[in-house]
Amino acid sequence: MLIFISGLMDKAPYLDPGSGSFLLQLLIAGIAGLGIFIGAQWSKVKAFLTGKKVVKEDEDDESDDEQG
Amino acid sequence: MSKVSRLGASFRDPSGFLFTHNGGLYRQINHSYAAEYDRLMGSGLYERLVKAGLLIPHREVDISPAEPDLAYKVIQPESVRFISYPYEWSFDQLKDAALTTLTLQRRALKAGMSLKDASAYNIQFVNGKPTLIDSLSFETYQEGLPWVAYRQFCQHFLAPLALMARRDIRLGQLLRIYIDGIPLDLASRLLPWSTRFNLGVFTHIHAHAAVQARFAERPIERSKMQAGMSRQAMFGLLDSLEATVRGLKWKLDKTEWGHYYEMTNYSNAAFEHKKRLVAEWTERLQPKLVWDLGANTGVFSRQVRGAEAYVVAFDIDPLAVAQNYLQVKEAGEKNILPLILDLTNPSPALGWDNRERDSLAQRGPADLVLALALVHHLAISNNVPLPQIADFFAGIGRWLAIEFIPKSDSQVQKLLRSREDIFSHYTREDFEQSFGRRFKIHSGVQICESERTLYLMECVKPLQ
Repeated sequence: MLIFISGLMDKAPYLDPGSGSFLLQLLIAGIAGLGIFIGAQWSKVKAFLTGKKVVKEDEDDESDDEQG
Repeated sequence: MSKVSRLGASFRDPSGFLFTHNGGLYRQINHSYAAEYDRLMGSGLYERLVKAGLLIPHREVDISPAEPDLAYKVIQPESVRFISYPYEWSFDQLKDAALTTLTLQRRALKAGMSLKDASAYNIQFVNGKPTLIDSLSFETYQEGLPWVAYRQFCQHFLAPLALMARRDIRLGQLLRIYIDGIPLDLASRLLPWSTRFNLGVFTHIHAHAAVQARFAERPIERSKMQAGMSRQAMFGLLDSLEATVRGLKWKLDKTEWGHYYEMTNYSNAAFEHKKRLVAEWTERLQPKLVWDLGANTGVFSRQVRGAEAYVVAFDIDPLAVAQNYLQVKEAGEKNILPLILDLTNPSPALGWDNRERDSLAQRGPADLVLALALVHHLAISNNVPLPQIADFFAGIGRWLAIEFIPKSDSQVQKLLRSREDIFSHYTREDFEQSFGRRFKIHSGVQICESERTLYLMECVKPLQ
């Protein structure tokens, strides 16, 4: 992992991504991740209570990105 | 003797640059970008994006690079008929360009790459659709790293869209001042307070601006930022940006000209006569590049004939341009580009050394300029003397189809109603004399059931 990170460090982007902009993305990712985690746990609890199985959604749908 | 020159707008990205060679446009790819370029081409991403009309096609060519020491390859991108800028786009054009950028990033991620910039200037309208023209915008995606172009996306797309939708449509013009997009602290201050209740706008503009301010003087080591942004989170960020962009809608207010054709004073026969003349003249001239100035919703732009004709339909009214663009989208028209332009203050040359973005005139000359029901606005509303109007047209086009509307016409009377008539030189004779100094007048046709005249002129003394 450390080698991987130092590889990234060597290739600096030509744009200044901005420290704040980087941190905000990590924050959004964290909050979203927490939301997904809570959602998943809740589904499990619901599934346990109702006796139904949790159905996993296909996340990689190619049809998502056509523009009108 | 070959002539090579580097383009003034192409200097920021060390991956390569654009240059012209004997009149053709080429892009040099530098050695430093070789691996990324090979991945774009080899992974099938290039092919898929080109097929979807999201990326401009190019071909590798065997000509000498402009800077041989740095060069890996030279490519020739397919030419773009007319380069336009975000401050000339209607709300929906900017919105579609934003959505295209997000689509590109999503597709790039699926192929293990990522956009390293998200500049609105990298998008151009090709065949009526927003298309990425910078083939060097992709880099290898490194999981864990946040999106390097996130800030640029928010500044170039989200901030102007939010300001136009939620504050005032005219704020899109801020893009003309801020060449790297609207600063988020400014956008945050200008947006109505209520936009803080829009989760996307709150996160990507208001909170973004606050976090930027907080860390402006405290740069964080990049090594501490690497972890934490999973691939899934990156897709989540893109979903959030897309939902925010899609959620921004401009409520079409009544603007100056939006219902222009419902308020005109001339008859149906006169209207049809004008349409017929435009069709006949363009059929004869076969122009390639036509600028329709004061095009409104593009009624006369659509009369232009000619196998290779491409019409840039300019108007000052954002509503008219928006309606025109919707028509282009609905009908899938490939040869009309609607743009916002205030002719009394046309787009100037901008950016570093004033060479990054071309002025209107630098993007000409057009083969034919249409100026229908326009001159009275320039001469009377904006007080420009007729000889200067003639000089302006001589600087932008080879042929000119121009309508003269005399003072007796009720539309001109309307302009004069609230002011003193100081325009003693606004007569048909003065018009013909002023334009005759630079143009050869080929024909002047009286429009039926009106006092108006439509002229066809050829520029014989262009402005140097």
